[in-house]
Amino acid sequence: MKMVREWLRFFAIAALTLAFGAPAAAQSDTLASVKQKGKIVVGVKADYKPFGYTDPSGKIVGLEIDLANDVAKRMGVQIELVPVIAANRMEFLKQGRIDLMIATMAYKPDRAEVVGIPQPFYYAGAANVFAKKSSGLKAWADLKGKPICAIQGAYYNRRTGEEFGANLVVFKGVTEAMAALEAGNCVGTVFDTTYFAGIMSDPKWADYAMVLPSIDPEPWGVGVRKEDTKFAAYMSDVIKDWHKTGYILELEKKWGIPQSPFLVEQQAKNK
Amino acid sequence: MRATPPSPAALICQMRRGGLSQRERRQNQPLSLGKRGRGEGAALFSTRTGVALAIVFVASIAVAQIRTQPASASVLELLVKWTPLLATGFLFNLLISFFAMVVGTASGLLLAFARISPRRSLRGTSWIVVQFFRNAPWLVLLFFVMYLLPFQFRLGSVTIPFPDWIKATLGLALPIMANVAEIVRGAVQSIPTAQWDAARSLAFSRRQTLWKIILPQCVKRMLPPWMNWYAILTMATTLASIVGVSEVMTITLRITNAEGRTDLLIPIYSYVLLWFFLYCYPISRWTRRLEARYGQR
Repeated sequence: MKMVREWLRFFAIAALTLAFGAPAAAQSDTLASVKQKGKIVVGVKADYKPFGYTDPSGKIVGLEIDLANDVAKRMGVQIELVPVIAANRMEFLKQGRIDLMIATMAYKPDRAEVVGIPQPFYYAGAANVFAKKSSGLKAWADLKGKPICAIQGAYYNRRTGEEFGANLVVFKGVTEAMAALEAGNCVGTVFDTTYFAGIMSDPKWADYAMVLPSIDPEPWGVGVRKEDTKFAAYMSDVIKDWHKTGYILELEKKWGIPQSPFLVEQQAKNK
Repeated sequence: MRATPPSPAALICQMRRGGLSQRERRQNQPLSLGKRGRGEGAALFSTRTGVALAIVFVASIAVAQIRTQPASASVLELLVKWTPLLATGFLFNLLISFFAMVVGTASGLLLAFARISPRRSLRGTSWIVVQFFRNAPWLVLLFFVMYLLPFQFRLGSVTIPFPDWIKATLGLALPIMANVAEIVRGAVQSIPTAQWDAARSLAFSRRQTLWKIILPQCVKRMLPPWMNWYAILTMATTLASIVGVSEVMTITLRITNAEGRTDLLIPIYSYVLLWFFLYCYPISRWTRRLEARYGQR
């Protein structure tokens, strides 16, 4: 009996700690709070070349960082970049740690329930398998029973493993997965077409190609706080303008990314 | 949890030792404080391990050097180029380990006092706390703290930022707290109980006995296992990479992704491993020296 009482007391204290320690609700009017602070905090990737990666001085650079800077310039405020990973980016946004997220996030209905994803989308990727041209892989069904390298947290991993029956060998980083591919530990690597497009020009990968038809085309969206419809509307206009002026197409050229048909299509649509 | 009535042997023992309450007697045996003074942390950091690590590192660079394509930069150049950034990441590991140890030790000491308190309710509660934090996986605690604590506090009109690495520090301090509590409790209980009685007969209060008589003798016994935990904690700081703190493992991943060079992987990871070794090795050597010295007495 005494033990039970002590347990109860322990949980009561724990619950109180949680209740009082809970973070204050994030501001729901990002536009106003950013203007007032004079600074916008943007969550970006620091490990996804060339969209967001680190240079030797520790600075984060890349296509998405240019986009983030453009947003800050339009609002006339300073910018602070916060490196995020897939596991914490939505949490940071909800907590108010970041005001805006531009972090290679593919649109998913369940993600849209947690954060606001203003439209139109600014980019689009799809999944493909990078393998030796001589591998004989032609269709996704050919992957059945074959070892395929994959990267933690990619949404198409599940489909590749369950629907197509590939034996997934999952890595934390894409470089590790590519090393395993090079060493022959798997016949191919399943990942974003945007990534493969960036490395194809490297002579090291001359014998390799994206051998299958791309699947699961997924548009990438920026993230804002769910309840903040005002800021979402603002970002929609910004993205529309990016498409209209061909700004992202220019940035693709700057960062050596092959032209994406999605952007051309969006430019025509938003003219 | 009512204990069965004490056996005759225990009663005799109680009579001989006298003094302390029966409750205090019923507590667990003191922790063994590393019999010959060889904790798990210490064994890892032998000179032999160091030599093996250095060989792996040099060999990995040599192999990478041969395989590197002529037009691209050599692996050694890349390592040199990224070393400053790696160092800033490693600094976070050291800061996290240092502050987690400070916080964990201070709170662990308090927890240990609760564990040996004459008050039953306090002992019970602290027992639960210790068991919980000693047995919960470190990574789980880390996730818990990372996503539970706010990123800033507001005190009146002042906002105090609460960066990620400090949250990670608190998360790692929790298991350290519980383990330090056990070290302190074990050390206190390893001091012959007759000293408590002697102190009481000289009219020392319980607090005075603890601070002026028992704890000073414990320091020597606690130091080696405590330093072992520091070495273990230092290695565990890389867990913070999983929750997105920009420490050395996170930075390493960013570097390999920025370079996109598969031949860089083994050299750079063994390079980081070597850093950790070079930091932990002197601590481990020192721990073993202390253990040997105090073991003789």
